Amino acid sequence: MDRKEEQAPRLVTEGPDGRGESLTTKEMRTVTEKGGKDLMSDEIVWQRSISDVNDSILLGIDKPSKTYYIALAFSVLCMAIGIAAWVYMINVGMGVSGLNSPVYWGVFITNFVFWVGIGHAGTLISAILFLFRAKWRNSINRSAEAMTVFAVMTAGLFPLIHVGRVWLAAYWMLPLPNTNNLWVNFRSPLIWDVFAISTYLTVSLLFWYMGLVPDLASIRDRVKGIRRLIYGMMSFGWTGTVRQWHHYEVGYALLAALATPLVLSVHSIVSWDFAMSAQPGWHSTIFPPYFVAGAILSGCAMVYTLVVPFRKMFQLEQFIRKEHLEALIKLTLLTSTIVSYAYSIEFFIAWYSGNEYEWAIFVKRASGPYAFYFWTMVFCNCVFPLAFWSKRIRNNIAVAFVVTVLINVGMWFERYNIIISSLVEDFVPGSWGHYEPSLVEITITVGSFGWFFTWMLIFARFFPLVSMSELKLIMPKPLSGDKLKSLKEGEAHG
Amino acid sequence: MANPKKERKGIVAVFRYLDKVSDAVKHMHRNKQFRDHVIYSPTSYHELMEHGEKVYGFSEVRWFTLVGALAGIATGFGMPIGMDWDWPIVVGGKMGGFYSLPAYFVFGFELMVLFGALATIIGMIIMGRLPDPRGKIRHNAITNDRFVVFVPGVGVDSEQAHLLRQWGADEVHHSE
Repeated sequence: MDRKEEQAPRLVTEGPDGRGESLTTKEMRTVTEKGGKDLMSDEIVWQRSISDVNDSILLGIDKPSKTYYIALAFSVLCMAIGIAAWVYMINVGMGVSGLNSPVYWGVFITNFVFWVGIGHAGTLISAILFLFRAKWRNSINRSAEAMTVFAVMTAGLFPLIHVGRVWLAAYWMLPLPNTNNLWVNFRSPLIWDVFAISTYLTVSLLFWYMGLVPDLASIRDRVKGIRRLIYGMMSFGWTGTVRQWHHYEVGYALLAALATPLVLSVHSIVSWDFAMSAQPGWHSTIFPPYFVAGAILSGCAMVYTLVVPFRKMFQLEQFIRKEHLEALIKLTLLTSTIVSYAYSIEFFIAWYSGNEYEWAIFVKRASGPYAFYFWTMVFCNCVFPLAFWSKRIRNNIAVAFVVTVLINVGMWFERYNIIISSLVEDFVPGSWGHYEPSLVEITITVGSFGWFFTWMLIFARFFPLVSMSELKLIMPKPLSGDKLKSLKEGEAHG
Repeated sequence: MANPKKERKGIVAVFRYLDKVSDAVKHMHRNKQFRDHVIYSPTSYHELMEHGEKVYGFSEVRWFTLVGALAGIATGFGMPIGMDWDWPIVVGGKMGGFYSLPAYFVFGFELMVLFGALATIIGMIIMGRLPDPRGKIRHNAITNDRFVVFVPGVGVDSEQAHLLRQWGADEVHHSE
């Protein structure tokens, strides 16, 4: 055994009674490779056992750090500024928002599409990667699911803000008959969107809460008094019987199967809000897959942007490992290449179609008054992520974090670019105009980030950021010394 | 197997190791002295899920999902068709109702997923006997890292307790 091997950490796979013997990480890996599949269930070599999971992950709930409170105060401040701007806009009128002919869809709808897109990664990571048996998702799926729920909640605010008189929004948006007893137009993509987003929010919420139930029971078993009662009620009295797990596993798989096409449908339907109109720059058949790829790109980037500070703040580095973050970056890189392809094809088809209105919009996007937004989008979403081809950069958390923040910026600009540049100049030159976000719109946008981060931070204070029960499944199984010895002997005899 | 509410007193055997508890479960499955025992696990380990598959068989949660999804499809198509029938709206010279069926696939699909998901949760709750406010927490470490077997109606000096110790239980004690 060489020096490096001797220094390899020893896995804590047996109890303190000293029965049997522990294996070095190298021995563990060798046994696993030789067929001892029940020894380790993941290719990552863990230095913690399942006994450490609850204590370490719930530490943040017991004692949040000072950074947590600073972050929370900052988020609440941003949210308060946003609320103040919204109240001002309701009080004074929609004129202060800067929305006027020809641009009636501005920053609010940009924010709506942006936040729905952010909400895509959660269910992708939870449902699609679950069905593909990608084990690395077990360490980050909880954060991603929480992000999804809060992002869709944030997105849901913007149609309400956009309609101005928010107290009438339900009347306008839901299938309720109007004063002439007419029903809504079910052939309008806007009503499709209401159904798609409501379904997505409900299913994401169910999926997220369902995953939380065993972990809530874990918290219940650690705390006392009123907290025990509350967590007990929230966990539905979960006791961890094999019967409960049996039906839970089937239910979870079925929910994943239902949520998978839902993820793909939601942003497709959002894209139809644009593609179903005859507006140049919007009326494109590539929009559904283009929007879905963009949504997944922005969602993965946002998960990374969130997970990196949160794992530091709640000391989760041992469980959200570099390997998991690297896998997430690879997914980001993949979706970035799909998005780059979509951008190119969109341009090519605008030229190839011979439609002069379509082509004029695309030329103006790249060289007109909105060129800054266009090139920011291209650099942030297509060029900077190319750095992730390098393994060194993928594993450099600080650099990767900066790139993911830039991707978030780029994705916001993508939505802004699509919406604004097509609206400012349509078929009638007499109605052409110019649009820039107003202070009220910018402030409400900042407020939406405050709202989102406030929810995330409140969640992290009371619930585990890592799915403890699922994490245990990808960690070394708690096997007795006898079993480990027999596996080692089996390996020695070939 | 096992409704712990029927018999709330018995013994609790606590296991530290997965291989020991899964061996014990196999032994118990063959041994007629063990009836109505309940197994608890911190997570859904494959070894114990295989046992669950044998004991509980096909999970009926699937039926809940199917019925919910079908009800969603019916509602998703029925709602716009019904509303069009109540008051047809002509859009772009086109009638609603059956003439616009492709547009209603969106509602059929979305409500299939929504109702299917809600029904799945209901199914999981009903079949998993939840919520269970009177459910006994046999050991605080079950949700952490311990496996527990509860055998109702026997004492710590019984043959069953002896066997559980022999099969690798770290501790066997009385449970109220």
